[in-house]
Amino acid sequence: MPLRIANQVRRGPAVTLWVDGQALDAFAGESLAAALLAAGRRALRQSSRAGTPRGVFCMMGACQECLVRVDGKRALACQVAVCDGMRVETGAAG
Amino acid sequence: MTRDPEILILGAGPAGLGAALALATCGVEALIVDSGSAAGGQVYRPLPGAFEPGDASGLGPDYREGERQRRLLADSGAGTAFGRLVWSIGTDLRVDALGPEGPESWRPKGIVAAAGATERVVPFPGWTLPGVMGLAAATILLKSQCVLPGERVLVAGCGPLLFAVANAIRKGGGQVVAVADLAGPGAWLHALPALLGQPRDLLRGASWMARLRAQGVPLLFRHGVREARAAGAGLEVSLGAVDAAGRPIPSASEKTLEADSLVVGHGLIPATEAVRLLGAEVVFDADAGGWVPRLDRDQRSSRAGLYAAGDGAGVRGAAAAFLAGRIAGMTAALDLGRIDAGHHARATAPLRRRLARARRFGRAMARLMAQRPGQVDGIAGDTVVCRCEDVTRAEVEAALERGAADVNQLKSWTRCGMGPCQGRMCGDTVGQIVAARTGSREAAGAWTARAPLRPLGVDALAGDFDYADIPLPAAAPL
Amino acid sequence: MAQIPVGEPYDAAVVGAGVMGATTALFLARGGMRCALIDAGGVCREASGVNAGTLTLHMTRAALIPYAMRGWEMWKAAPDWLGGDPGVTVTDGLSLAFTAQEAALLEARVEARRAQGAPIEIIATSRARAIEPGLTDRFRLAAHCPMDGYVTANLTGMAYRRALVEAGVRLYENAPVTGIEAGDGGFRLAMAGAAPRARRLVLASGVWLEEMLAWFGLRIRIKALVNQLIVTERLRPVMRSVLGVASGLLSLKQFANGTVLIGGGWQGKGDRARRTTEIVPDNLIGNLRLARYVVPALAETRIVRSWLGFEAETDDALPIAGPLGGIPEAYVIGCVHSGYMSGPYFGRLLAQNILGQAPELPLFDADRLLVAPSCT
Ligand SMILES: Cc1cc2nc3c(=O)[nH]c(=O)nc-3n(C[C@H](O)[C@H](O)[C@H](O)COP(=O)(O)OP(=O)(O)OC[C@H]3O[C@@H](n4cnc5c(N)ncnc54)[C@H](O)[C@@H]3O)c2cc1C
Ligand SMILES: Cc1cc2nc3c(=O)[nH]c(=O)nc-3n(C[C@H](O)[C@H](O)[C@H](O)COP(=O)(O)OP(=O)(O)OC[C@H]3O[C@@H](n4cnc5c(N)ncnc54)[C@H](O)[C@@H]3O)c2cc1C
Repeated sequence: MPLRIANQVRRGPAVTLWVDGQALDAFAGESLAAALLAAGRRALRQSSRAGTPRGVFCMMGACQECLVRVDGKRALACQVAVCDGMRVETGAAG
Repeated sequence: MTRDPEILILGAGPAGLGAALALATCGVEALIVDSGSAAGGQVYRPLPGAFEPGDASGLGPDYREGERQRRLLADSGAGTAFGRLVWSIGTDLRVDALGPEGPESWRPKGIVAAAGATERVVPFPGWTLPGVMGLAAATILLKSQCVLPGERVLVAGCGPLLFAVANAIRKGGGQVVAVADLAGPGAWLHALPALLGQPRDLLRGASWMARLRAQGVPLLFRHGVREARAAGAGLEVSLGAVDAAGRPIPSASEKTLEADSLVVGHGLIPATEAVRLLGAEVVFDADAGGWVPRLDRDQRSSRAGLYAAGDGAGVRGAAAAFLAGRIAGMTAALDLGRIDAGHHARATAPLRRRLARARRFGRAMARLMAQRPGQVDGIAGDTVVCRCEDVTRAEVEAALERGAADVNQLKSWTRCGMGPCQGRMCGDTVGQIVAARTGSREAAGAWTARAPLRPLGVDALAGDFDYADIPLPAAAPL
Repeated sequence: MAQIPVGEPYDAAVVGAGVMGATTALFLARGGMRCALIDAGGVCREASGVNAGTLTLHMTRAALIPYAMRGWEMWKAAPDWLGGDPGVTVTDGLSLAFTAQEAALLEARVEARRAQGAPIEIIATSRARAIEPGLTDRFRLAAHCPMDGYVTANLTGMAYRRALVEAGVRLYENAPVTGIEAGDGGFRLAMAGAAPRARRLVLASGVWLEEMLAWFGLRIRIKALVNQLIVTERLRPVMRSVLGVASGLLSLKQFANGTVLIGGGWQGKGDRARRTTEIVPDNLIGNLRLARYVVPALAETRIVRSWLGFEAETDDALPIAGPLGGIPEAYVIGCVHSGYMSGPYFGRLLAQNILGQAPELPLFDADRLLVAPSCT
């Protein structure tokens, strides 16, 4: 079942992101966190000390759990709007 | 860099917006700064830029209210600086932000702190698993991204967002496995008189609950999450009964449910970092969500030139935030000498009446979302309390045993609260754990606030520079 | 812990539980004295708990090199005399110069420190890069010292507190001393809830020494430097040494957990009486630029926090440590540059002196700094 809710909105143009080298379809302007969740990409990094998997948690830029690398720079997936061709690497910490 | 405004407003949620509109009516030059891309804050988040409302009724009243507020702001003539994260505020009221064009700073004559709240999630085993997310977090996903947190979702925690989220998930086509509320149905009845003051919101809440019941969604009152475990691509979640203080009842049987996602939240915590950075006095008010600035009736903090409003000054909800923001704006205009006391009194009197009503409602809601000490008390020793540094409750207790006397000393000794979330996720829990030994939250203390208010990229902050651009001070003595 | 009968004076009361006071108290107690240690806050929570923890001779005042070298040895052996795990790492230290002027400065400073016995030498830039692969290649000159390293300063209080309690030192925490009365046979300390008496007094109150010395009519100017520090979030290993620059304005190291600590004495603002501090944003950015310039890989990470602490400095930038002239059985210790590195040694030295042993190195008489009281 697709997690994107139909009807409520007309989404922006379809775009393609590259997440760890794999293509991922999304819509322009969508939050990267939402696009990753909608694609079933839930584990985004490992915690620094215990190495346990982490993913989107607070959606508002506070918890820092969704830290990834976007076009080479550390960024929070929940604070980034996607655009076509964006390159995302998960497992960004360390 | 825009030129210095007379008043800088930190946060463009309803509180900041209220302040901006009030200041505009008094002819005061105000600048509203927010890290988001448009006004609205957490409740009235805009849709992503390239999105258009489809069937607008599906988006609900919050979306329409947000659009209305954004129009009001645009028409008011207030200055805006979106996409700017405020990372430092000095006692000289210098405000430093980092935005798309690099570092910027302003020196206003006054500041309205309207930074909102962050979500409280009281730790349980498995709360760090991917697939577990905040309840307020889910509202953002649902309302602003129109994305479900999962196909089959377990909704747990406390407060009004529980039923709002469960309902939105259903409406969006998802399945709600169950709703587990720490409160009993009695708690809602208890809140009823205060809720009657805002019949529209009351109706919304009541209809959410009724609809879920009609749809056969199990509603588990006085239940909390005992543990979440990864199971295949999803989760297995154990729930159990809790007492009135939120403490798990050990003898009660556990119920285990399978879900894709667990959405869980235990209320909101006022974001007071900016206020504390300026050394304004804060007091602990459990019913308002935690530490809040001490304010006079006109929204002045204990520091001249600093005002506060909205959830960041005590969780009271969006309606109260907007009204308090307007009062803060009028007061700032008064203190700048732009309006006289009579004008201030006339303008704020009707706002105060409405605010009193909104606050009654907000307080009742906030009480449902206040931290339950028994819930914290029930956290098991091997549960991670500090997500960033993977510090367990047992490690916290060991440091307390060794003599750590307040939250900041505890932090030094254990790294609890030292990670990139800057203690936002664990602070409230740890404060309560320490308070269980020191006797009060006041004695346990609050994290010392420091710049940067959020982690900042070295590259973005340092910018492009040559060696000669480094403002080297004089060498240290030999 | 030795129970003190009510009214019975301690052999020594130490005011200020920073690294200076705490070490003094520890060695006094181990030397057989019944000792009280009093602090307005907790053990090592001011400068001694928030400092950068650098153990470097590159930045140590030349005149203090012999003391700092002994301090370094003590930190290295901390598990033996302090116990616990204060997180000591021994590694190479490099100091760099980027301009011709800085190169001249570096050469002069290396010379002066070598004259005092520091094992520092100028090395080829290629060797510097071999020692520290994370370095920029834009420096002109480098100096190396094998005797360097760092301590995880935030753990200092935990380690000292346990050692003090085990040694039988009576701790008074969150107990600001508001006045001290000198009388026959000892001192009486004024503080809320208790008024301990002691035959000997040690003042070890860091930047607050100025105020405390004034209680005895001794006027000594003590400047309060407000040093800023910045820490990053965890990052893959990008450096292994302690890095500094000729001017002393950088101290940079990466802890085992991956975080990088950036300091160097860039100044913030503070009010020592109210114990409040705040950053100067331009200085934070300046310090950050310098760090990023020296280790380019820092561009990858994010800063998570900054903080500040008060460091004491006398008019001649040299310590005060020893008996207080004119007040029998009163001692002072503080204002030691690189005072964290040297603290354990200074504390032990003063304790030896108080215990009647011949100190190994000379102490620093406070009298030299007395400001003549203005006639009224
Ligand atoms: C995640 C979340 C979801 C919520 N969802 C709902 C909901 O669905 N329904 C509901 O009734 N209530 C909801 N609430 C509660 C709601 O946020 C408040 O009642 C209301 O928004 C308070 O308004 P405010 O103006 O005080 O703060 P907010 O609306 O939170 O606005 C604060 C603003 O300050 C900005 N800000 C904060 N710090 C900085 C900084 N350092 N630099 C720049 N900008 C900054 C933020 O970006 C934000 O836009 C939610 C709260 C949270 C935390
Ligand atoms: C940010 C920073 C970075 C530094 N980096 C380094 C470094 O990398 N390497 C290095 O070697 N040195 C460094 N230093 C210097 C070093 O930290 C100090 O020299 C050293 O810690 C001083 O120790 P102290 O015991 O004299 O003072 P403090 O540690 O300041 O202790 C003084 C104590 O006296 C107490 N006190 C004051 N007044 C009263 C009162 N009225 N009653 C009771 N108690 C009182 C205070 O509460 C405090 O605990 C740094 C300093 C700072 C601030």
